[in-house]
Amino acid sequence: MNWKSTVRRRNRREGRGLTRGFRSRAIASVVLLAALALMWQLSPSTVVGQPPTTDDGARGSDDASNEFKKTIRPMLSKYCFRCHDAKQAMSDVNLSVLDREFKNEHLFLLDEMLEQVSSNSMPPEDELQPSKSERRRLTQWIEHALLRMKARDAEKNGSVRRLTVDQYQNALSDLLGLRENLTDILPPDAVSRDGFLNNEQSMVLSPLLIEAYLEIADEALSLCLVDKNERPTIQTFRMDLGKSINPEPCPDKLILGANSLLLANDDFVVRELTPTKPFDFDALSMKKSFEFIEGYQGNATVRGWRKFGSIYHAVFACVRGTRGYPAGEPYEVGEDGLLLRPAIPSPEIFGRSSTYGPMANFKISLRELPDQGNFRVTVRAARYDDGLLLGQDADFQDEEDELAIDGGKLRDGMTSEVSIPRDGIYQIEVDFSPAPKAKLSLSLGTRVFSGQLKPTKSKRSPEQLKLKEGERRAAFMQVRLPAGKLPLKIDAAGDSRLSQIRFVRLDDESDAARRFKTFERRTPSLGVYMGLRRDCGSTLAQVGKITPMDSNKLTEFVFEGAIGNYPTPDVEEGNVNYLAGIREIGIRSEYTDGRNMPRLLVRSVEFEGPYYSSWPPKKHRMIFIESANRDNPAQYASEVIRAFAERAYRRPISDMEHEFLTGVWLDAYESNNDFQQSIKDTLLVVLTSPQFLFVIEQSGGPKLEVLDEYELASKLSFFLWNTSPNERLLRLAANDGLHKSLDDEIDRMILDPRFIQFARPFTSQWLSLDKFDVVEIDHRRYPRLTRDVRTHLREEPVQLVQHLLRRNLPLSNLIRSDFIMANEPVADYYGLADKTESGLRFAPIEHRDENLGGLLSQASLLAGLSDGRQANPVKRGAWLARKILAEPPADPPPNVPGIDEDDESLSLRERLERHRNQSACANCHANIDPWGIPSQAFDAGGLFQQDSNEDPSSTLPDGAEVKDLNGLKDYLVDDRLDQVAFSFLKHAATYAVGRDLKYNEIAFLKEKGIELKPSGYRMRDMLRFVIKSKIFLTK
Amino acid sequence: MASQKLDRRAVLKGIAGASLVLPVLEAMGEEAVKHDPRRFCAIYTANGMSLPNAKHKINEWSWFPQKVGQDIEFGKSTEPLSPFRKQLSFLGGLGHANGVKADPHVCSDMWLTGAPLHNPKPGTYNTVALDQVVALHTKQFCRQPSLVLSIDAGVGFLSRTGTISYNFEGKPNPAENNPRRVFDRLFRADRKAQTSLRSQLQKRIKLVDAVLENAKSLNKKLGKSDRAKMEQYLSSLNEVESRLLASEKWIDIPLKKQDHSHLDLSITSEGDPQEYYRNMLDLIALAFDADITRSVAFMLNREDGMGISDTFPLKLGLSRTHHQLSHAGDKKGQMEFAKFDRFLSGQLAHFFGRLNEYQDAGASVLDNTIVLYGSGASTTHNTTNLPTLIAGGGNMGVKHQGYWRRDKTPLANVYLSILHALGIESKSFSDSTGELDDSIFARV
Repeated sequence: MNWKSTVRRRNRREGRGLTRGFRSRAIASVVLLAALALMWQLSPSTVVGQPPTTDDGARGSDDASNEFKKTIRPMLSKYCFRCHDAKQAMSDVNLSVLDREFKNEHLFLLDEMLEQVSSNSMPPEDELQPSKSERRRLTQWIEHALLRMKARDAEKNGSVRRLTVDQYQNALSDLLGLRENLTDILPPDAVSRDGFLNNEQSMVLSPLLIEAYLEIADEALSLCLVDKNERPTIQTFRMDLGKSINPEPCPDKLILGANSLLLANDDFVVRELTPTKPFDFDALSMKKSFEFIEGYQGNATVRGWRKFGSIYHAVFACVRGTRGYPAGEPYEVGEDGLLLRPAIPSPEIFGRSSTYGPMANFKISLRELPDQGNFRVTVRAARYDDGLLLGQDADFQDEEDELAIDGGKLRDGMTSEVSIPRDGIYQIEVDFSPAPKAKLSLSLGTRVFSGQLKPTKSKRSPEQLKLKEGERRAAFMQVRLPAGKLPLKIDAAGDSRLSQIRFVRLDDESDAARRFKTFERRTPSLGVYMGLRRDCGSTLAQVGKITPMDSNKLTEFVFEGAIGNYPTPDVEEGNVNYLAGIREIGIRSEYTDGRNMPRLLVRSVEFEGPYYSSWPPKKHRMIFIESANRDNPAQYASEVIRAFAERAYRRPISDMEHEFLTGVWLDAYESNNDFQQSIKDTLLVVLTSPQFLFVIEQSGGPKLEVLDEYELASKLSFFLWNTSPNERLLRLAANDGLHKSLDDEIDRMILDPRFIQFARPFTSQWLSLDKFDVVEIDHRRYPRLTRDVRTHLREEPVQLVQHLLRRNLPLSNLIRSDFIMANEPVADYYGLADKTESGLRFAPIEHRDENLGGLLSQASLLAGLSDGRQANPVKRGAWLARKILAEPPADPPPNVPGIDEDDESLSLRERLERHRNQSACANCHANIDPWGIPSQAFDAGGLFQQDSNEDPSSTLPDGAEVKDLNGLKDYLVDDRLDQVAFSFLKHAATYAVGRDLKYNEIAFLKEKGIELKPSGYRMRDMLRFVIKSKIFLTK
Repeated sequence: MASQKLDRRAVLKGIAGASLVLPVLEAMGEEAVKHDPRRFCAIYTANGMSLPNAKHKINEWSWFPQKVGQDIEFGKSTEPLSPFRKQLSFLGGLGHANGVKADPHVCSDMWLTGAPLHNPKPGTYNTVALDQVVALHTKQFCRQPSLVLSIDAGVGFLSRTGTISYNFEGKPNPAENNPRRVFDRLFRADRKAQTSLRSQLQKRIKLVDAVLENAKSLNKKLGKSDRAKMEQYLSSLNEVESRLLASEKWIDIPLKKQDHSHLDLSITSEGDPQEYYRNMLDLIALAFDADITRSVAFMLNREDGMGISDTFPLKLGLSRTHHQLSHAGDKKGQMEFAKFDRFLSGQLAHFFGRLNEYQDAGASVLDNTIVLYGSGASTTHNTTNLPTLIAGGGNMGVKHQGYWRRDKTPLANVYLSILHALGIESKSFSDSTGELDDSIFARV
């Protein structure tokens, strides 16, 4: 390895040199280092009270500096400066900066020097060589220097770190009690070398950003403040759904463009309501008469003025999506309400399939919604007491409790009655004359079941089944029935004729009955959406959380959102097109993986907005706090400003700050004489001030100081929750209690729901999940990697990391694990659908599949590190070295064509080979590719290919041989776990402090992290270790 | 503290007053007056262009020239543009990668944005359009960031857009369509609007001022804390303040004296199509000449038979509406569609002529403007090989070459090259893969 390539690498990245340095050389120093490193972990008692002592390495430094002057400097001058002085600085290496007083920034350079000199790589062969003793002297000197430096604390001068876009949004929402996402106009944060968005060195501040802060602050405050003397106007309506529920349906045929399926006009009722509120308000009466000149007839535009006058042109019920639901009807209206099967997502690409949104995608279309504020959608829904429609491969049942009804009585629309002898699960079988479009729509009591009628494939012949001439039998469905009289109705049989319906009771212990019991226990999930009607794609965005329906009893479920977070039609007043600006409230039974589940029953959907539980609303009262001094403007302003600024600045404000802000207020109040406006003007200053926009740690000098209580509260909160500290943390800080109860608080914060705001950004950024977001998957090769499946797969690593941290499980699970974290779509993707019934919720599943478990076999990572068509060992190898081992490979040298630019006629493998064989590339690829080759048998969709003809055996850069990915996992867990642990610690610490780590901080993690090994590198302990280190706790 | 603040305000006001001596220089900064303005104008026509079926043997009516290269022969539908052959180029083979994935009716929505409309980020619709990126970088030099015009006022509605301009949040920018209203707003700004604009700006200046003061006092107090970020913050605030001050000053700078006698402001979109388009295009030319704005987007007609423009071919004596003609497979229909293109070419020629009449210090306004003319479909519902024409820009390094063509080239690469020609150093635009190398664009 030549000097040039290695030095470039070392100079730019920390960690790697150290890693290898320690492994190969400095064994003897480890003991000493470990002792020194002890000082780095602060126990709570050292934090509280006395400041930690810092050893500045003064002892012995005089000798060292003498030695430098007398022997080292002349040696450098003689052997090195020819190429590596300030002027030449070959390979960016300038050794003339070394001085008797070392600076921290020289440590990585020294480390590299040590490697080069001790391995005889430098000076190069054709240059003047130092004698053996000179060389020994130089290496000893560097080793000593490094040791001294490591023991010495790096200087710290406090820090000023801008909030990331997400932190800003979260902090603003928490401070103002707003749901609105206002940060779309902010430029995205820059990505640091390690992949993090919160790195203070890579964060930029620009006028553009400041302008955006000003805009956002203004908009946010406007959203909070109301004229409390004004009565709010509230829009409320409810749509009730049910068969023939509307005695006065709209007589017009409603239109909603291509591919819309509308509910029958008499199957829904819309009423405007007046809610009960503890304050005065006006109920909005929606506009109900319209005049349009442009409309649709199917897919064609029609022109001509036409008047419309009904609430049903303002609000109506629509199902949009593709026809051809695989089993049963996508939706059906029964007496109890609308029945929805899971909304199957549609493929994204136009032409190959429809982009008109998922199948069974019920929407309420409407023209009018409030401009701003929060809204509530209340859905009265339940799991339907459903039957299981059977496919053609079901079995017929022969049981004693057979009950047959003569089909002669069962013409369309006729009601009959059967007497069910015993409670239980029954299979309903139908004898019928087959017809191409035969279907059956059956009512049992108030329940309805519709599906295609196809003869069951049976070994038994029609004669054996004693069927009449030309007839066939279908095992149509299974359903649980109570004993007693059961009204029975055939609503439609298509063009087929029924001759007999048989009810066969299933043995409770039979497989069929067990399957049915599994089916009836499944919980459909209710999702609410809001968006706009459009022809292509979907603008529907989720409202609130997806809610599992685990009861068959109708219950009200509330979904809340802010209008401002959903696309507005932005249609001008008086637009004359019938379809212009139509909004939609979407209601879905969420699709998981296509398994049969009871339908979602929707009885009614109610909208209320803007939603206020009190007036003025809470967000207004959070600013205009209760006070006895409300009548005294100056006094009250002073109180309002202090309360607000203290929450915004996340600490008590100083007298100077308070005086300044009240000065701003007085200035504004005197000029506009409007109290509310003058407060708003003042709070605008608060929201655009550095005290709010930055996380500031104040420092008196380069010596390490312990964070003060409030600084700790902020740092901890932005680390573990990605938002400002809550009341509890601030209260602890106010009572000098946070350092003391740090352990408890860490636990509490990790178990808090907000911890996902750590797990998601940290995992995404550490593991570069954004690569999976942007990779263009070849849909022909990987049709199963649909948009929705990708969304779930992307969450898998996040859920794994969160699970391991929450449960304090061993780190080795990141590499090798007998369980995966999955929901139904993820489990289904890996072929484990039958091992879970968790719906969309992620839960651990024991996989018993040797090709699963751990990050390295997760589809989001394997696919993200491909080109969307083929596996890419280089991307995977470089990722593993960088992320899992913290041994980042060097950047590709300039002027080497990338793989993608090479001849496209060659296969990827051939192109890679050509690329690697270029001499400039070979050296580095020798350290990259071996890590990626073991996963060769996993395709670009991230799944193991049994018939892969790629050879997954690999000789790793350190000489170890592994036969495949499992071999690599074993090797990492059994032999390299310390390095994996170091990588996690390093990435977590870098993210925690929002900057690159310093040399001695890396050294500390490296050396001291090993102490976590005996207990098995438990993940929560590791995070705690980072937080309780000096890296985090000092400034 | 309050008195300190007042002092500072007084000083700022003093500067503003003194600067009226050299208003344009002060407001726009030296950089702006040293170079001729660089402008951008996007003009869009919906439903594609005439590319007649070969079986009808009317290739001379094809919108694209028959041969690639410098010496092109203009087809009949583009003949009116031939006097400007040295100032324009046809570009072939372009398209949006996302275009073919989406419902073709949204091709107007995404023409200037390239957004993945088939798979939008939940809760969003579109992404930023080219004209708004230009506006973001040119607004500091002129009175209005951009001018958004369309045949129909407003925004239409999603997937049948009435505007081609989308802001940074991907929301449509409402278009104006009435010549008189556009004129009044641009050239006859009323006092009330001026006053409200001024008070808005002053309020914002005051706010920035207060934040600056607060930040400075904090910075002093930070002592030895890492100050670099704060310095960046302070200088950004300073920059914002100076931009605001510049905007405030614009209000007092008189408009350039121009001849408006050729305008007929009584024309509306309901009237004669030619008169309407010419007046709108004349307004754009005047706005450029007076440096009121440097970014314009104009949608000439709408997709799928929406709006009044669908009837224009009928008004011009043709037998079917614009949308119907675009779907025509018969010879007569295809010929008529081409004739309508010829009509549009005539309007563009009128516009280019106007831009050549007006002069900046160093070149004609056309040479200081990149005009992008095109459609989101080649023939109807076909979103590859989008008809694209670039005119002007000669003073920004555009080297026109008749008909340039390279198949499967991202249209976003053209957009990125346009940005670079305008001196806007974006790394990418939408799904661009790089500049349009080896083409009409060259760095100056």
